[in-house]
Amino acid sequence: MTNANESQRSPFSIAHALIVAALLIGGSLTLVLLTPDVISRDLARRLLGVMLGAFVVYYANTVPKVLPPLVRGNAAAEQSMRRFTAWSIALGGLGYMAAWAFAPLEDANLIAVTCLGGALIVVGARGFQFRSRRHHP
Amino acid sequence: MSNVFKALADPTRRRVLQLLQKGPMGAGDLADHFDVSKPTMSAHFSVLVAADLIEADKQGRAIIYRLKMSVLEEALLGFTQAFGLQLTSNRTATSAAKAKAKKS
Repeated sequence: MTNANESQRSPFSIAHALIVAALLIGGSLTLVLLTPDVISRDLARRLLGVMLGAFVVYYANTVPKVLPPLVRGNAAAEQSMRRFTAWSIALGGLGYMAAWAFAPLEDANLIAVTCLGGALIVVGARGFQFRSRRHHP
Repeated sequence: MSNVFKALADPTRRRVLQLLQKGPMGAGDLADHFDVSKPTMSAHFSVLVAADLIEADKQGRAIIYRLKMSVLEEALLGFTQAFGLQLTSNRTATSAAKAKAKKS
């Protein structure tokens, strides 16, 4: 029963993912409805970018806490990989948010994608290294 | 969240978290780093488990503790260490070194 409750509360449960999806769609719809009468088109673009970045940070923050550990393999290396992934994506997400919040609008998208994409590339490279070490220690 | 702050307020518990950042460790191995009794260490572990910062995995007779901290909680741990509380932590490390010397 406890496990069932915990899995329902986990950010990676289906119920939680549906709530997050609803929030994203609801947020985007609200921005569309408020544009251009209440807020400008530029501000709406910035707010949408900040919102997307916030969701990335939220998920990255919880990665090391909620994913169950692998049964086999080097536990210390696996934990290190998890922490590295979470920190990299969280910082990439913060960079994405900051770019949309503060950078000039014409450059914001490029800077934001570079921040988050860079984090993902670094995580991918570390993951590849982690996998190859597991298979060829 | 108040459980997390309570857990991070104590230098011994912060040191335990720092040790676990290197990888999962047994309760005995962790206790060897501190000059405190096993029941006291056990109480510290309980506080950390209650705050959901670590989790215990029973393997036979041994209990293995592993880190279960979010990025925000790790950042909080870093801030707590950075803002002048490092000295207390160093004192804990020094007393642990003395304890090891006494044992050997």
